[in-house]
Amino acid sequence: MARIETTTERGLPWPVARPARASWSRARRLVFVGFLVPAMAVLVLVTVLPLLYLVVTSFTPLDLTNPASLRWAGLTNYRQLAADGRFWNSVWVQAQLSFWTVVLQMVIGFAIALLLNGRMRFLELVRSTFIIPMVLPPVVVALIWKILFTPDISILDWTLGLLGLPQPAWLADPSLALWAVIVADVWEWFPFVMLMLLAALQMLPGEPLEAARLDGASRWQVFRYVTVPLLKPAIVVATLFRLIDSVKAFPHIFIMTGGGPGTATEVTNFYAYLQGFSYTYVGYSSAIIVVMLLATLVMSLGILAAAGREFDVE
Amino acid sequence: MNSRGRAWTAAATVLLIFVVLCPVFFIVQMSVRTGLEAFRMPPTLVFSPTLQNYVDLVEGKFVRSLMNSTVTATSTTVLALLLGVPAAYAFSRARFRAQGVVSLWTLVTRMAPPIAFGIPFFLIYKELGLIDTRVGLVVIYLTFNLSLVIWMMRAFFDSVPRSLEEAAYIDGAGIAAAFVRIALPLSAPGLATTAIFTFLLAWNDFFYSLLLTRSEAVTAPVAIVNFMNYESWEWGKVAAAATMIMLPVVALSILVRNYIVRGLTAGAVKG
Repeated sequence: MARIETTTERGLPWPVARPARASWSRARRLVFVGFLVPAMAVLVLVTVLPLLYLVVTSFTPLDLTNPASLRWAGLTNYRQLAADGRFWNSVWVQAQLSFWTVVLQMVIGFAIALLLNGRMRFLELVRSTFIIPMVLPPVVVALIWKILFTPDISILDWTLGLLGLPQPAWLADPSLALWAVIVADVWEWFPFVMLMLLAALQMLPGEPLEAARLDGASRWQVFRYVTVPLLKPAIVVATLFRLIDSVKAFPHIFIMTGGGPGTATEVTNFYAYLQGFSYTYVGYSSAIIVVMLLATLVMSLGILAAAGREFDVE
Repeated sequence: MNSRGRAWTAAATVLLIFVVLCPVFFIVQMSVRTGLEAFRMPPTLVFSPTLQNYVDLVEGKFVRSLMNSTVTATSTTVLALLLGVPAAYAFSRARFRAQGVVSLWTLVTRMAPPIAFGIPFFLIYKELGLIDTRVGLVVIYLTFNLSLVIWMMRAFFDSVPRSLEEAAYIDGAGIAAAFVRIALPLSAPGLATTAIFTFLLAWNDFFYSLLLTRSEAVTAPVAIVNFMNYESWEWGKVAAAATMIMLPVVALSILVRNYIVRGLTAGAVKG
């Protein structure tokens, strides 16, 4: 009975009586298609079309103050981009930010995962604690660290003074500002690596570890030649996601440094924002983002391909 | 591990928790001090906490931005679930060639910095008059929430045995009836987890609200930044506002702690 109701509800014309096997599975598929269509339509509408539009605007000199500027200009933006020193500076800043945040998060996250592995009773409490930095609104993370890195009002500054260490004006010093951003990002996201590797560690099969130990391998050898290879998929995925997200850094830079001092913390994402919404050159901004997105895509697929090949060898 | 090693690990763990949470404690304690006292160095450990900062906030405009955050995050969660849950069920119970394409596309959209959607949405919203509206925010939040719902719920549906639904088919129930009466109730914990996740992501958004709102639809994270700039660094108030927007996040995420990694890598990892 329910079947009749739902078919009429969905308005799909198929036999009401119990159908033969073939038509039943066809009817079933139709219902599932009906389940999929709305979501797929909205997904295309809100993600595919806007990204296509972004590609279109990247070929125009579109200026927010002049709507008539939405006209084809070929590769002008891209040519300008290649010669834009500030763009290349932003790529270099981004490269440093990505490199150091990913490396530090992986090292710290992995080390802590190893430290906590096996302490089952503690784990629940620890997990609850460590997720806090990464679920906080990024604005709050940025605000906390902005205060901590501001001389005179910060407990960090006071502690450094107490220990007789230099108390630099982190955010105003071009050589330190990027490190302030890196510290905030590492604090926020090392728990992600830690939780992911901890989950992988706990699912490790016992036999290979046991066998290696029985064969007389040292703890370091077991770690290097058994644990790390077994964790490789988790390590690759964690690295990939941290890398992808490091390229999206925005609230920290917007709030902590505003891209400064000078352009010392101006990552590509932030430079594109300035071009588009401070200087109103949306067309140029689009070109920056298209290049950035392609670079991220190529890099990610490269990592997956390289990792995939190694998995096959093993 | 011997007991001495264990004690060291425990000590290290406690120290670690302290270091990780210290910045959070710092901002919370700042929110219950008066403006001047917040920055007295060395910090006074004994002080009389005040709720003045919170009172100021509640009496000011901040409440409206909190309302905006609540309404937009809730609406986008409901919308993403309505659209995404049936799709996730279809992907879980039937094989579609589109699945691989959608999965790859999800990864691509995951890579795009928010500004990649921000630019086209800004231009389109300007034409449609959707700048500075809650509707505008709800729609743009679907760019990340819809695929999140699809992949999280698919994993939950995969873990619900099909045998019950098949028994229902034999009893004459249709696909939709089996979905609504059997699969959905069985994946209620998954639904709750997914709902919390989509809510958190929308609640935490900063960029889209910064770009697409002006005054009416401003959400709380952007409102904080605004009174940082216009009310000459009232740190006590900033700290109180930060505490207010992070409390629900911390509470909700403790509820879904075991799924955080799965949510953050939706589509790529079944954690």
